[in-house]
Amino acid sequence: MTIEPIPADRFTIQELTDLYNQTRVDYLVPMPMNADRLGEYVHDFDIDLHQSCVARSDDGQVLGLSMLGFRRNTAWITRLGVLPASRRTGTGSALMDCMLENANTLGVKETHLEVIKNNEPAYKLFLKKGFVETDTYLVMRHAPRPLGDSLQGEVTWMDFETAIEKLSAYPKHLTWINACESMSNSPNTEGLYLSLPEGAGWLVYRNTKFTLRSTLSHLIMHTEQGDPVEVGTQLLSHLHTHYAHHDTYAENIHEHDPHLPAFEALGYFTNFSRIEMRRSM
Amino acid sequence: MARILYIEDIQDNITLVEKIVTSRGHDFLSARNAEQGLELAFTSKPDLILLDLGLPDADGQTLSVWLKGDPILSSIPILVLTAWPEEVVRQTVSAYNLNGYLCKPFALIDLVNTIDSILGAKTA
Repeated sequence: MTIEPIPADRFTIQELTDLYNQTRVDYLVPMPMNADRLGEYVHDFDIDLHQSCVARSDDGQVLGLSMLGFRRNTAWITRLGVLPASRRTGTGSALMDCMLENANTLGVKETHLEVIKNNEPAYKLFLKKGFVETDTYLVMRHAPRPLGDSLQGEVTWMDFETAIEKLSAYPKHLTWINACESMSNSPNTEGLYLSLPEGAGWLVYRNTKFTLRSTLSHLIMHTEQGDPVEVGTQLLSHLHTHYAHHDTYAENIHEHDPHLPAFEALGYFTNFSRIEMRRSM
Repeated sequence: MARILYIEDIQDNITLVEKIVTSRGHDFLSARNAEQGLELAFTSKPDLILLDLGLPDADGQTLSVWLKGDPILSSIPILVLTAWPEEVVRQTVSAYNLNGYLCKPFALIDLVNTIDSILGAKTA
């Protein structure tokens, strides 16, 4: 079978959404999207739809898709998926080749991606294409629940501009999803700054409004001074006291993040893990 | 007999569960995403909600927070039907204060028994 890569911008967002959902129907962690969410995803994560691909067979059947994000010297491969009936036909490999060729054309120095831990077929494909594992990140959830009366310190709530200014000085690596560029692309980004007698730190997050309700996501925390667990516990306590009824989805928290005990103390639990992989071009 | 709302994005799953639920004499309603599900819960006041966790707008966890956070809807029991790994589902059901779960693929008799058990507990 000949597999032809078609630029994804020849398809509507609705068509891409339908295809993406069909590729994930039996996925380890199914995460369907609607067209609004995929459109937001394309915007927030700087997906270049012209460099992204839909795979098509020589008889015109659509087989799968993959998307390519592009920022300065780095590309990001995401949303790679093959329809269940088209697996083990070389479609995933062909999509990866297309992504790497397009990344090369863009002149990037490095390409990143993330794979859900235990998705062995995908992980092996990425190794075969020259990617190496770098770090493991946790995707965590927090349901609203009553908090103790233990708030400490002085809090300053940060608007979009102030939150992005803080985040731009973050000293560690952030994955593509939580990178400053991704947070800058979302109007829902905000934050809080905390001063304690023996510590200080900040938390930047997204407060996404749905038609009827809001939810918190994309948490990035930094301790400027003091014990990260103490500062982190107070940052999260202030956040969840202020937004007492919000569901929270914390993506890509590093598995060795010093604030992890604070997340756990506040009732966060791990939904799944992601492995970040990189390939020099 | 009870009114049961199933919030699930995959039509084949809806069709299967509808057959089981209606064969037991219950009224059946369905929604394909979280916002439709929330609206239908408001308008129909179901006796039980069957909830998939992977929904295309807000996911099932977030929707359960919206449902539990509303004084009119908060007492409606929620049974999770999902393909997620069982340990994650167990933690989710506990953290989100939901009423139970069945991991796909599940035996149809287990669905019938779990629905009967939750509805029985509600009316007891």
